[in-house]
Amino acid sequence: MFFFKENKKKKQIVKNRQDQNQNQYQQNFLSTDLNQNLQELQNIYQNCIDVVFREFKIGGKTKAALIYIDGLSNIEEIDASVLTPLMKESDAKENTDQLIHVNYILEQKLTVSKIKRVQTMTECIEHISGGNPVLFIDQQSEGFALGLSNWEKRSIEEPVGESVIRGPREGFTESLGTNLSLLRRKVRSPQLKMKSMKIGEYTQTEVVISYIEGIADQTLIQEVETRLNRIKIDGILETNYIEELIEDNPYSPFPQILDTERPDVVVANLLEGRVAILQDGTPFVLIVPISFYSLLQSPEDYYQRSLASTVVRWMRYIFLLISLLLPSLYVAILTFHQEMIPTTLLINIAVSREMIPFPALVEVLIMEIVFEALREAGLRLPKQAGAAVSIVGALVIGQAAIQAGLASSPLIMVVALTGIASFTIPRYTAGIALRILRFPMVLLAGTLGLLGIMLGLLMIVTHMATLRSFGVPYLSPMAPMQGREMKDVLIRAPWWKLNTRPRLTGTDNIQRQGPNQKPNPDHGDDKTSKGKGGS
Amino acid sequence: MIEKGKISAIQMGIMIYPTIIATGILLVPAITTRHAKQDMWLSPLWASFIGFLTVYIAVQLNYLYPKKTLIEYSEEILGKFLGKAVGLVFLFYFLQANGIIIREYGEFVVGNFLTNTPLVVVMGSMILVCSFAVRSGVEVIARLAEMIMPVVVILIFVNIILLIPDMEVANMFPIMEKGIMPSLKGAVIPVGWFTEFILIAFLLPYLADRNNGKKWGMISVTAVMLTLSFINIAVLFVLGGVTDRFVYPAISAVRYISIADFLEHIEAIVMALWVAAVFLKVTVFYYALVLGTAQWLNLSDYRPVVFPMGFLLLLFAVWSAPNLMELTHFLGTSSPFFRMSIQTALPLLLLLIAKWRKRTNNPNQVKCQG
Repeated sequence: MFFFKENKKKKQIVKNRQDQNQNQYQQNFLSTDLNQNLQELQNIYQNCIDVVFREFKIGGKTKAALIYIDGLSNIEEIDASVLTPLMKESDAKENTDQLIHVNYILEQKLTVSKIKRVQTMTECIEHISGGNPVLFIDQQSEGFALGLSNWEKRSIEEPVGESVIRGPREGFTESLGTNLSLLRRKVRSPQLKMKSMKIGEYTQTEVVISYIEGIADQTLIQEVETRLNRIKIDGILETNYIEELIEDNPYSPFPQILDTERPDVVVANLLEGRVAILQDGTPFVLIVPISFYSLLQSPEDYYQRSLASTVVRWMRYIFLLISLLLPSLYVAILTFHQEMIPTTLLINIAVSREMIPFPALVEVLIMEIVFEALREAGLRLPKQAGAAVSIVGALVIGQAAIQAGLASSPLIMVVALTGIASFTIPRYTAGIALRILRFPMVLLAGTLGLLGIMLGLLMIVTHMATLRSFGVPYLSPMAPMQGREMKDVLIRAPWWKLNTRPRLTGTDNIQRQGPNQKPNPDHGDDKTSKGKGGS
Repeated sequence: MIEKGKISAIQMGIMIYPTIIATGILLVPAITTRHAKQDMWLSPLWASFIGFLTVYIAVQLNYLYPKKTLIEYSEEILGKFLGKAVGLVFLFYFLQANGIIIREYGEFVVGNFLTNTPLVVVMGSMILVCSFAVRSGVEVIARLAEMIMPVVVILIFVNIILLIPDMEVANMFPIMEKGIMPSLKGAVIPVGWFTEFILIAFLLPYLADRNNGKKWGMISVTAVMLTLSFINIAVLFVLGGVTDRFVYPAISAVRYISIADFLEHIEAIVMALWVAAVFLKVTVFYYALVLGTAQWLNLSDYRPVVFPMGFLLLLFAVWSAPNLMELTHFLGTSSPFFRMSIQTALPLLLLLIAKWRKRTNNPNQVKCQG
């Protein structure tokens, strides 16, 4: 009974909210009476001290008003190109016909490049909230939104989370306009499309879906749009809100959507047929669909020589396994399979473990938790305190722990190596998934030895095989196997070999570049002469 | 259809390969050596003919009933009552066969590595992991196979290469000392493994490219034959005439590996990776069992059957034999005939009846299809 009542209440609340929202954004047209419009806007913007209503007279005769939000609009520009020319308008030039008068103002007086006519109150509110001042003139059934928005924003900086040795150093900022311009500067073709939509009942955050027409699959774009349209939420402050609301498997520890703050990464992915989702107010851009292997690729792989990138990539795969398995291997081998260790090393480990009162499993768990705590503390603290943490950390997981009899020195090596290995994973979100999974693996190793590790791994791989990211299997191109795409997974083939795009949901436009791109200086001249000769 | 996933023919081939060899590489060398002596490397070659035959039967049946599995078309071929009865025989057989596989795995792990762990825990944990894979459907199992198969193949070849210093080619001679008969006799046991290819009857209906099903089934048989022969040769070269004294000669041979006093005692790693192959074997059998049961009971989904069936599997694994000796005795004596009769002879019978019925009853329909 109580349960039903609760339910009913909830439904009512939801309904009320919907009504409210509908009232808020009703589609009423502007009236020709300036005072009535102003009255209505003042009602809407009740108790909003940041909204400025500036009433004035054009040429000392026609009443007009300018409404904008303090801090979102460029005040100097308003003064110089709107208020000054309009107010200094002399009576002599004024025409009696109102309509011509307006066009005359627009054509000759307002020195503003972007002007939009708005007919409804909803549009007015949208523009005012977006920082565009709206100009109302008496006896006009429309307002004029002036593109003079300008607010404080961070300048373009190097992204901290994804730094590279070689490659572009610019990163996205919190301003959507800047981010879009960064993309447009890299892809000049009009095929680069950007579709805008608003998400968040209250925040009305602008979200942009970007893709390259002709490369991205149409069904994929539609799927992204339907999933975004489904979102009904108060507000979004970061793209992770969107990520959690549109991903395929919300309970997985693995991220199924890539986030990046590098424009070059976004463009590279757009060129491979993926879709980017940008949001105003955060530098992090979402990319769909991805596979697990894209989480293990760094942008720098494509900016260094292919051989070096291949080696680095393999090193990363090995360190991925180390970061997931090393502590559990330590536990399993010391507890169940001592014969696997060479005798001398075994004796050394036994000696150093002599003073430890715990079994290997407990020892590893303690040290891993301490390490995770130190890492987390180091991330959140201000820089000045960070140094103190690192000193304490060096003492805690180091000599002191050994002397206190809490850990053996081989274990310190294991924990340190695991920590370093987890830092080699280029995507932070993927690293977190492995950090979480490390603990159950240690427990399995402590109970079933190597068999337990294997069973745990099989569980993880099974889970990953069930995952999909917007229809693309998470483990592709390894499973389902696509031999042609191994060139960008097992190795990083040189650019002249990367002829085809990865196969995502669609298959059209698979060719990335012309054939025979391999540099060949000896035959270069021959080819051109042959081509000219037509032989 | 209960299963909505689609796999490719290559995926089917990749799935079935570790399914056959997982337990084969453990037990086949010892059992074949008992009869074939130094000619035991020839035995998988003879045995593979039954494998080719089984694949042929499964593919032919699939041509006649494209969208149906073994359980479904046996009902169509033999009529409602008899068909259900034959379906029950198949299901019961798969239940017991999978129980034996899990028991082999459990005995191996407990006997060699985790001597203090209860057998039930080892077997139960494997069944649990497999049941998650089975619940995810045929597509996921195929993807798992694609991840695991390369690991298994690399494992086998690396081990064979590492064993080269310990090999003694003279162990092979004299070839065919007593004619062809000993190797043929030795082939009787591996036949049991090759008949397991009937499992493709549960995968063929879900192929996206049906025309390649036969090709990849045959390739898979060839690959299994070559792998078993290679392992037999390697074990023979390393252990020689005493191969049949070991229960698991392949693992005993791995113990010989010692490179630079550092790379030694790797059998635990071999075991761990072999577990992945067994996982696949149990999963494919388990999947066939669960899918077949759901079809036999006319259920709309097979997922509710997975966990109860897993529990049954654990019981059958415990019941299948009182101890390891009895188990190997069963595998070495009556099991190949038992396996052959249900996995090859019964489907062959089905195929013959189906062909005969199609020809006599409605020749028009055949024409229409053509």
